[in-house]
Amino acid sequence: MSTTKYANAVAAVKAMENNLLTRADIDQLINTRTRAEFISALAAKNTAAGEGSSLAEVWDMLRAYAPDSEELKLLAYRNDFHNLKAALKAMISDHDPKQYFIRPTNLDLEALVDLLKTKEYEYLPEHIRSTAAEAYELLTRTLDGQLSDSLIDAACLREMQKKAHKCSGDMMKQYAQLITAAADIKTAFRCALMGKTKNFLGTAVCGSEKLEKDDLVREALAGTESLLAYLENTEYSEAAKLLRESPAKFEKWCDDVIIDIAEEARMLSFGYEPLAAYYLAKESEIKNVRILSVCKEFGADRDTITERMRKLYV
Amino acid sequence: MTNGLVLAILGAALAALLAGIGSAKGVGLVGEAAAGVVSVDPSKFSKVLILQLLPGTQGLYGLLTAILMLSRIGVIGGNAAQLTTAQGWMFFVAALPIAVVGLISAIFQGRTAAAGVGITAKKPEHNGKGIIMAAMVETYAILALLISILLIYNIAI
Repeated sequence: MSTTKYANAVAAVKAMENNLLTRADIDQLINTRTRAEFISALAAKNTAAGEGSSLAEVWDMLRAYAPDSEELKLLAYRNDFHNLKAALKAMISDHDPKQYFIRPTNLDLEALVDLLKTKEYEYLPEHIRSTAAEAYELLTRTLDGQLSDSLIDAACLREMQKKAHKCSGDMMKQYAQLITAAADIKTAFRCALMGKTKNFLGTAVCGSEKLEKDDLVREALAGTESLLAYLENTEYSEAAKLLRESPAKFEKWCDDVIIDIAEEARMLSFGYEPLAAYYLAKESEIKNVRILSVCKEFGADRDTITERMRKLYV
Repeated sequence: MTNGLVLAILGAALAALLAGIGSAKGVGLVGEAAAGVVSVDPSKFSKVLILQLLPGTQGLYGLLTAILMLSRIGVIGGNAAQLTTAQGWMFFVAALPIAVVGLISAIFQGRTAAAGVGITAKKPEHNGKGIIMAAMVETYAILALLISILLIYNIAI
C-alpha cells in the first residue's frame, strides 16, 4: 500500500502529539506535594493519561484513522498472548477470565474463550493458533502454569519477529528485536538466579538475530555472572551494565530505547510509522504517569522520581 | 481541418489534461492530510488551506498554456489556421513541458505540502517553512510554463 494513503492519519497524529505531556508538564507534576495535588494537576493538563483505558482508546482511534492497520497489529501482540494465557488459566481453574484480560488487543475476547473451550483452534487468529493448542496441551498434561506461560511468552516473541519481517520499513523490526532481546535477557537472568533447568530455558528463551538462543541458554546455565559477562560483549552491553545495577534501571533502559525508535519514526511524513510511534509515546506517557502516581502515594523525593521517569517523546 | 491543426489541438488538450491530473492528485493528497489535522484541531483550517492550494497552480498553468495555444492557432475566435503537419508537431511539442512537468511537479508538491501540514499540526508558528518548502517545487512548473509559452509564440505560422 502506498504510504501516502496514511497522509490523513499521520497529519491527525501530528496534531494529537500536541496533547502529550511535555517536559514542563512532567516537571510540574513532579513538583506537586501530595497525590491529591498531583491528580488535580494531571486533570488540569486535560490529558487522558490518567485514565486506565486510554491506551485502548488511542488504539481504537489509530485503527480508525489508519487505512490499513495490519502493520500496527504487532503492537498489540503482547496483549494478545497475555489474553491467551489468561483465558487458558481461567478455563483450567474455572474462573471468569474477563478481569484478567488487557486491552488493546487484536482478539475478539469472547470468541477466544469460546474457541478455547471447544478446542476449535483453527478459528483463532493465525498468530496465536498453534500456540494456543500447544499451551493447552502442556498445561493440561503438566499442570505447570509457569512452563505454559513461558511457552506462550516465547511464542509471542517469535510471532512478533515474524510479523515485523513482513512489515515495511525498519521501525517494527527494531521494535520486535528490542522487545525480544529485552524479554530474553530478563528470562535468562531470572532463570540463572533461580537455577532453572536447560529444558525450561529452552522453552522460555526465544532468541533473535542479535542474541542467539543457544548462547543465552548456555550462559544462563553457567550463572548470572557468566550471563552478564556474555551480554557485555554484545550490542546490549549497556543493558547488561544496568541489569547488574538493578532490574528497574534495565527496565527504564528498555523503555527509553523504545522511545528512541519512536523518535526516528516520528520524523516520517507518511506511512504507518508515525502512528505506531504515537502509540508507543502514549504507552510511555501512561507509564510515566503511573510511576509518578505511585511515587506520590509513597512520598518519594524528587530525585527518586526523576531517576525513574522514562524518556519523553515530545 | 489539417493534420497539423489536429496535432496542435491535441497538444493544448494534453497540457490542460496532464497538468490538471497532477494538480488534482496533489490537492487531493494535501486535502487528506489537512482533513486529518482539522479533525483534531479545527482552528488550523486556514493555515492548512494555504498548503492545499499550492499544488493547484499546475492545473492553472496547463489551462493557461492551452488557452494561449488555442488563441495562437486561431481556434479561439473561430479563425483556425491551416497548419502544416510540421507546424502541428511543433505546437504539440511546445505543450509538452508544462504537460509533463506540471503532472509530476504537482504530485511531488502535493507530497511536500502534505508533509508541511504535519509541521502546521505540530508547530503552527512554523507554518511558513512548510509553505516555502512546498513552493520550491513550484519553480520547475514555472520554468516549464515559461518554455511552453516561449515556444508557442515563436512558432512561425
